[in-house]
Amino acid sequence: MSWLRISLTAFAISAAVPVHAQTLTITTAGGDYGNAMKEAMWGPAAKELGYDVREETLSDGLAALKMQVTSGAIATDIIHLGSPEGAQAAAQSLLEPLDYKIIDAKSVPEGAASDYCYPFDSYGTVLSWSTKTYGDNPPKTWAEFWDVAKFPGRRALRANAQDSIEIALLSDGVAPAEVYAVLSTPEGLERAIKRLEAIKPDVAVWWTSGAQSAQLLKDGEADLVVTWNGRAETVKKDGGAADYTFKGSVIGTDCLGVPKGAPNKEAAMKLIAAMTQPARVAKLTDFIAYGPVNPAAYEGGLIPEDRLKTLATAPENAGTSVFSNSQWWVKNGEAAQQAFDEMMAR
Amino acid sequence: MTATVDPALLADARRERRFFLSLSLPALFIVGLAAILPILWIIRQSFLTTGGEYTVGNYAKVLSSGLTWSALVTTLELSLGTLAICIVLGTPLALALASARPRVANLLMAFVMLPLWTAILVRTYGWLVLLRRDGLVNAALTGSGLTAEPLPLVYNFTGTLIGMVHYMLPIFLLPVYAAMRDIDPNLVRAAASMGATLGQVIRTVIMPLSAGGIFSGSVIVLIYSIGFFITPAVLGGGKVNPLSTRIERALSTFQDWGSASVLGILLLVLMALIGVMLLAARRLLAQDAVAAAHA
Repeated sequence: MSWLRISLTAFAISAAVPVHAQTLTITTAGGDYGNAMKEAMWGPAAKELGYDVREETLSDGLAALKMQVTSGAIATDIIHLGSPEGAQAAAQSLLEPLDYKIIDAKSVPEGAASDYCYPFDSYGTVLSWSTKTYGDNPPKTWAEFWDVAKFPGRRALRANAQDSIEIALLSDGVAPAEVYAVLSTPEGLERAIKRLEAIKPDVAVWWTSGAQSAQLLKDGEADLVVTWNGRAETVKKDGGAADYTFKGSVIGTDCLGVPKGAPNKEAAMKLIAAMTQPARVAKLTDFIAYGPVNPAAYEGGLIPEDRLKTLATAPENAGTSVFSNSQWWVKNGEAAQQAFDEMMAR
Repeated sequence: MTATVDPALLADARRERRFFLSLSLPALFIVGLAAILPILWIIRQSFLTTGGEYTVGNYAKVLSSGLTWSALVTTLELSLGTLAICIVLGTPLALALASARPRVANLLMAFVMLPLWTAILVRTYGWLVLLRRDGLVNAALTGSGLTAEPLPLVYNFTGTLIGMVHYMLPIFLLPVYAAMRDIDPNLVRAAASMGATLGQVIRTVIMPLSAGGIFSGSVIVLIYSIGFFITPAVLGGGKVNPLSTRIERALSTFQDWGSASVLGILLLVLMALIGVMLLAARRLLAQDAVAAAHA
């Protein structure tokens, strides 16, 4: 008779769970980063709300979002994008407007605010180097990164105009606050491209994924690598002969959006609000060195003091930084990328 | 000669033909669904703006861009380079395999086929491990004192070509080997007994008789090589950008499906052109052979 008891128990358990448990799908970048978000952010938030959340991972969020929305087969309720991609998606009306009645509008500093894609964490594009090659005397500014006579070595940069043209101008003596003003003039963009072309002979690899940039740094395939601080920090923490500096970093944010026509719009807004609570975005830094955008997350010791210096947005690090301007990229991204690609093909 | 055929037999033959045709229907259906429809969709997409209106702007944009043409040149350099190396390496290998004893040939064949059973991504990353600056090859070269500095073997054109040849060589080898195996050994013996040197035997007997295999192998190598994406993306270090990487850029960075579709059609046209050119070349060769035989 035990099978009857078991099935009756099973029946009782299933009856106790609300029949209409809300099911949601979230799309993240996967890897260490995706896991960190699950552990720190949406996992606990889903439990609190009683949602059944499924995860999808994609490295190319915007292309997938466009595919889903244009074909009308929307497979996700929340999508993780870089803020420039978020702004681009908004401009192509691929995202639902954020519901700031559910999400706390005051949790985002004014400069980072978006009506469509909620910025939750930030990263810096930083200068990293092999300590085996340079010992105690590494290049520490972009101008020195460009100085191949004083610092010979193989460089690796991202095969993308994003962040590359900003650091090119910084290396040429443009002040962080002036970068986008200069880039907005035709001569400014040309100046950045020319600067990249000047260093091209010393670029061993133009990388295409964050994981690849970390590998190049770890293997010593390149001596100087432009990469994201989370990647550089992980290589360093794992005992790689590498170090990096936040000086002159380009700070960008990642954001969460809801695809236009998503099946569970309101629940998605609620999950975004819950998963980005200060304690949760602070907890994210337990797993990966990407700092919260919400200023409240830096208060009350939510983030241990010694970890702050590994975050791009920490006050002591942000002084010489450029904040990536999503609006500029939406307007000029294609032209900039075109000029960049032409430089690569020359 | 006139022969009257029993009409019942003719009807039987017709029924049989129809039956065989119907057997191929599922395959035709799948080809139609998986190949023809998407191509039609891509053709339609190439005439649409992002807003969904009809335009020829995508063509103007893609064809007027210098990037398209430099990508086209890179595509051709990679494909023809791969083909040339495959012919130089593969033909003697096929000859050796075809003239080896069957057991030896089978064993060697297994080694040749081994890479075919490995996923391309795994193989490509394998080359990365072998060819990088502190990789096995460079460690051996510098360790033995052959070179003072590690050679730039990967993250460039050389590395991409190595990866592509590794992928294409077994595929090239199969038809060439099959053609050489089918050569009647008596022909070789006859030539030799008439006083032909080994070089003459290869030139006048083996090569003409295996030309068909080399030809088919070349067609396959070219058609495959033109569409290679993973190998240049991983081993090219961002510096080797054939048309396939332009398509990826158009899709993922610009979400420009129109331009991506035009580039895709360009690839298709390129393949068709190569097909037509090779067919014409084969016809010419065949005519020459006939003429030579009659001379």
